Amino acid sequence: MVDRVRCPSMHLLRCAVPLAHGGGTPAAHGGPVRSAVIFATTATTVARSVEVSSVEETLEQRSERFERTALPFLDQLYSAGLRLTRNPADAEDLVQETFVKAFAAFHQFEEGTNLKAWLYRILTNTYINIYRKKQREPQQHGVDEIEDWSLARAAEHTSVGLPSAETQALDHLPDSDVKEALAALPDDFRMAVYYADVEGFSYKEIAEIMGTPIGTVMSRLHRGRKALQKSLYSYALDRGVIRPSTQAEGAQA
Amino acid sequence: MSCGTPHDDCAKAIEAVYLYLDGEMDDADCAEVRAHLEDCAPCLREYGLEEDFKRLLARKCGCDPAPEDLRGRVMTRLREVHLEITTVEFRTE
Repeated sequence: MVDRVRCPSMHLLRCAVPLAHGGGTPAAHGGPVRSAVIFATTATTVARSVEVSSVEETLEQRSERFERTALPFLDQLYSAGLRLTRNPADAEDLVQETFVKAFAAFHQFEEGTNLKAWLYRILTNTYINIYRKKQREPQQHGVDEIEDWSLARAAEHTSVGLPSAETQALDHLPDSDVKEALAALPDDFRMAVYYADVEGFSYKEIAEIMGTPIGTVMSRLHRGRKALQKSLYSYALDRGVIRPSTQAEGAQA
Repeated sequence: MSCGTPHDDCAKAIEAVYLYLDGEMDDADCAEVRAHLEDCAPCLREYGLEEDFKRLLARKCGCDPAPEDLRGRVMTRLREVHLEITTVEFRTE
């Protein structure tokens, strides 16, 4: 069985963070999204969004609690940010923006609930608002067809069907191949697969993080994994880690 | 022992492979799957492949440590925000 740690209830995810439509997206004027765009949220904007009237916790106490409980997720969030943005500079900016927004909304977060999932939701929303909205704008219609096409492309160079080669053989692939294959999946599929298989989130958590029904998460997981498997077998064939029409031996051909 | 040939309920077992591996099944359904896998080598093999694949992704894609100075830069931004909040508080008093 796959080892995984179940997080506690995450009903609190539904509150908090005016992110879904927030954070400024003055970005969308053609050309690649630049790092500076991410800094659209100024400290003043954040300051306005923070209620400083909390009677039970001072700002200093909140800062200390944030640093103690949220900041330890920095490495994990950076890894996820890297998978989402697909480049280190944007991942760093995304993580910074995520922490600023999380801090601004931290007074709404109830200690003891699922902080990790809450942070991932902020990360995901921030990414969607800044990057994907722009990328998808010309493609409002026929998203399903585009995703089908993208999934097919992600798996395109495979010349075999779903092979039965031992998956262990894929261990011989360099990490960069696996990351590249994952990066080639369309956003929604990449995120679902990453959150389930790497981060170990439950379907319910992924649904809340991504703001989609659980059925959609399951469908994306299924299709995303299958596309990724085909793609990785193709990499393995190219590198001679497995041979066509033979069972993999897990060794160089 | 495994007989090595597919059974009538294989389709059901294969359909449930992700639910099982993702820990999304209740105990009763898990027990049913395990009972099937004990008897069915093809399905057991399929489950093994999918489980290996899940683990492969976790091993290969899960560990990109943040640049060393990122924490410092995050802290700097948070201090700026903190300062702004303090200033806003001061002005409104």
